[in-house]
Amino acid sequence: MPLSTTKKQAGPDARKLSLVKEKDRVARLRESVQKAAPGICPERALLWTEYFKDKANRHKHIYVQMAEALAHVQKKRSISIHPGELIVGNYTSRRVGGILFPELHGLVVMQDLLKFRDREVNPLEISAEDQARLLFIVPFWISRMLPVKVYKSWLETFSMILNQLMGHYYVINESAGISHVAPDYETLCRLGTDGIAARAAKLQKENLMDADKWFFYESVKIAAEGLAVFGERYARLARDLAVSEMDRDRALELKAIAKVCSTIPRKGAASFREALQCCYFAQIAINNESLDNSVCPGRMDHYLYPYYEKDVKSGALTRDKAKELVSAFSIKMAEIVPVFNEFITRVHGGLFNGQIVNVGGTHPNGKDSTNELSMIFLEVMDELRMRQPNYTARIHKSSPKKYVDRIYEILSKGANSPSLYNDEVIVPILKKNGVKIGDARNYTPVGCVEPVSQGKSFSSTDAALMNVPIMLELALNQGRRLGRMARVGARTKPVSQMKSMEDVLEAFEIQMHYGMNRLLKDLKAIERANAAHHPTPLTSMLLDGCLDNGVCSTRGGARYNFSGIQCVGLVDVGDSLAAIQQSVFEEKKLNMEDLAALLKDNLADSKWRHYLRGLPKFGNDDPQADAWTAYVLDVFKATLEGKQNTRGGKYTTGIYSVTLHEYWGNVTAALPNGRRMGESLSGGMAPSNGQDRKGPTAVLNSMNRMDFSKADNGINFNIKFDANTVGTPTGCMALQSIFSTYFKRGGMQAQINVLDPAVLMEARDNPEAYPNLLVRISGYSAYFNDLTPQMKEELIRRTSMGL
Amino acid sequence: MAILFDIQRFCIHDGPGVRTTLFFKGCPLRCRWCQNPESQSTGPQIAFYQEKCIECFECLEACSRAAILSLADQRIDRDLCNACGDCARVCNQDALRLVGKDWTALDLLEDIVADRDFFLDSGGGITLSGGEPLMHWEFLGEFLPLVRAEGIHATLETSGMAGYAVLKDLLPLVDLIYFDLKLMDSRAHARFTGVPNTRILENFSGLARDFPKLQARMPVIPGVNDSDQNIAQTAAFLRRANKTSIHLLPYHNLGQAKIPRLGSEAEPFEISGIPDHYLTQTREAFERKDIHAIIYD
Repeated sequence: MPLSTTKKQAGPDARKLSLVKEKDRVARLRESVQKAAPGICPERALLWTEYFKDKANRHKHIYVQMAEALAHVQKKRSISIHPGELIVGNYTSRRVGGILFPELHGLVVMQDLLKFRDREVNPLEISAEDQARLLFIVPFWISRMLPVKVYKSWLETFSMILNQLMGHYYVINESAGISHVAPDYETLCRLGTDGIAARAAKLQKENLMDADKWFFYESVKIAAEGLAVFGERYARLARDLAVSEMDRDRALELKAIAKVCSTIPRKGAASFREALQCCYFAQIAINNESLDNSVCPGRMDHYLYPYYEKDVKSGALTRDKAKELVSAFSIKMAEIVPVFNEFITRVHGGLFNGQIVNVGGTHPNGKDSTNELSMIFLEVMDELRMRQPNYTARIHKSSPKKYVDRIYEILSKGANSPSLYNDEVIVPILKKNGVKIGDARNYTPVGCVEPVSQGKSFSSTDAALMNVPIMLELALNQGRRLGRMARVGARTKPVSQMKSMEDVLEAFEIQMHYGMNRLLKDLKAIERANAAHHPTPLTSMLLDGCLDNGVCSTRGGARYNFSGIQCVGLVDVGDSLAAIQQSVFEEKKLNMEDLAALLKDNLADSKWRHYLRGLPKFGNDDPQADAWTAYVLDVFKATLEGKQNTRGGKYTTGIYSVTLHEYWGNVTAALPNGRRMGESLSGGMAPSNGQDRKGPTAVLNSMNRMDFSKADNGINFNIKFDANTVGTPTGCMALQSIFSTYFKRGGMQAQINVLDPAVLMEARDNPEAYPNLLVRISGYSAYFNDLTPQMKEELIRRTSMGL
Repeated sequence: MAILFDIQRFCIHDGPGVRTTLFFKGCPLRCRWCQNPESQSTGPQIAFYQEKCIECFECLEACSRAAILSLADQRIDRDLCNACGDCARVCNQDALRLVGKDWTALDLLEDIVADRDFFLDSGGGITLSGGEPLMHWEFLGEFLPLVRAEGIHATLETSGMAGYAVLKDLLPLVDLIYFDLKLMDSRAHARFTGVPNTRILENFSGLARDFPKLQARMPVIPGVNDSDQNIAQTAAFLRRANKTSIHLLPYHNLGQAKIPRLGSEAEPFEISGIPDHYLTQTREAFERKDIHAIIYD
């Protein structure tokens, strides 16, 4: 059946093609992806349904079902090669698009099926016909999707689903967590799918007596073959297109594509180009298998370098050509978008799906691994500046100066990529968690910021996120939300009986343990459901350990296993405790009951709000205020201490919030730090909005007081500068200096955003959004927001002249 | 003790590297283009940010001297106000602020030492600015040895308006001096800055002899000091002092809007029709006279 309703056929328009010439190929590819309206492709959902509806498949082993379903999708879905492409593989039937996973969260997403097109945030194109076809599969999945399989009892199922839909206390992403992997593309490129299938076949023969293992190896063979066939379809398509191609140059290119796709991913890659193409096919396939969230190619500059080096040496490849291929790959990554409904968009923001490509770092022996390919990737991320991939860079004490200089240069020019990761901090953290030193040194960030050993770790890094401020709210009202009667937390001391700071902390700690245990109960149920109903043979075959153990990664087969739980609103709670300590127990301006009443009233009295906001806050280089944030992290960590996930791994602590800090800011009551309900919580590990009053060096001093070894699932430290301050060579040097100091002193991560000069205009019109924008003019003293409208105009005029 | 009206960290235009700029309060000059008019008076002052005021009049009750006005653009009766800061403390909107705080040398040292790691990595340090830091020469005599003992680089930004003995005493304690040369014609200097320039120029010549790390700067005020004549005189003066370069600071009027906030009676200073290329023209004029001119942001 013809699956795609988009009428566009694969055959490219010859007239257009002739325009795509060597020189501007990258610009054109980029433009067509940037211009394409993102949409929803129904093919994966329909084909998946088709497979599972087929009675012949119903009684097969779940491993085999998953592998066959995936192979079925890859065999049947529409494929196309776009004009001018060198790296091929369409993720969807649209140029830029996403797919649906009816067996996972697909039906939840499809609540918005009729709204996608017209919604305000991230509208997604979808045809009426596709809408109808998707509606038809709903009845089939309503009783078969993962969420209803999590708990045996309906009551528990109902309560969990309700909790997830409201998502006020915590959000569990485990079903997406399973896609948060950095697959072993190195092995795939080396052995090809045939090589991996052969290994599986050999192991299968050795394990004839163990049914589970036998079926696992069987599923790996099917998954490998499915991926191989997918590549070969492109080889045929390219050959066909070459025949009808009018442009001779392009016809040759198509023949080259056919040649590449006819060998990989089946056989190992023999060239740099084949390796890149191999990675992209696998990228598409894994996204189709687990969930299109944070499947990360990881350390490409590291594992692709041998191919690059060999090709350049033999004269088969030039640096320019390699850069063009890397650009083409990078652009392809931006064609993949996740399909979220409105709620998930609030939680996860944008069309972001966290496919990290990392540069820099070390070899397993600890020697610097930065190479020419790292430099090419840096150039590409600067020149393309697209939504995806999510580029990161590892830095360590022997990173070459040229590499580090280049990173800060592109950051100061406003590239906003890469985000920076400090090996000196992260490698020891992984090692402490039981990762062997060589594997720890081969880490890559995954998803947002989470460090994992590439190709060896099933870390489910985004398993869940917890609203920590709401736990403080519960502590201030005996386990109930402020102003509500229903008890959702533990019954703790009423505020009237809190006579010392210790009483407050005790109530908070009890609520944290209680809340975390509830979270973990739901999380473990989903972990088990994934293992039982959604194994991932393809992912498993690309994670070291699974083949040796004969166990799927969802069941703990990988070499390393973790689950990451995120602490959201860390700094808000730290600042709130600092405020309680000072206002109630030191200055005695309030008692606990007064404070609770003010919070219940949403700090309507601006006198008190002003007072509370004026108390010491994290991020101002104040050791006492900073200590409270460190305390909250300790408490969070303690709630996870000694607990194990169902895969036998440890729960790790992350400090990032994606966009949940904004959503939870809307549902969490006013806090003692002076934040009102409706105002955003602090994002990741950063000072509360507008509370960093002393500039970036003070923020960095506060950051350096934190013990990052406790944040074993990574932190996101997002810091903004305006281009007028740091865009000049002087500014760039200052930027580099303060961050290398931060890293030297044990900083873990930083995402440096240099805002476009236009931001000053925005800040003029919307001062709340940029509370503490720095203005730096020789000998001049002021914050941007303290300027009068006329002065802001003058400053904008001045900076637009480049002064 | 010395009174400062601001301490700004991560300054990158007040000397080499990453710096903390200390804004001392009090200045003997009254430059009409002054970018920090709050720096001029030596005492604390209350500033009124009219656009932030929501007219809740919490300040009215807080003030023990009945110095709160209810005019649209003014809140403080400057004749009655003693800048005790009570009104600023109760103001929820930060519309009233106390400008100027007394610091002891040790407190100030503690504040700046926090960024020492950044200073050392970037080759930065502290910059004494203002106002005119030299008005606090006694304090500096106590403070700067402490700074030096911490190994922190110190830059002095000065108008040069001080007794030479004062300057000379401080020379062993500072690493770099940025010295403003605003106008060569003494009468014009007096007209625009309130004081003649005789002593300033003498001090510059003296420093040029006694202190190698002296850098001339010039705030380029279109129509005031960018004439060929002034540039030629400045260049000649620099050459006589064996100096070969000057920093040019672009003009801006960001100080003007601060004036009404202080209830100051200073006359507004507006330059209309600033030529597009006044800075590059000034630079070229200097270069023609063999003085290397660097436009500084």
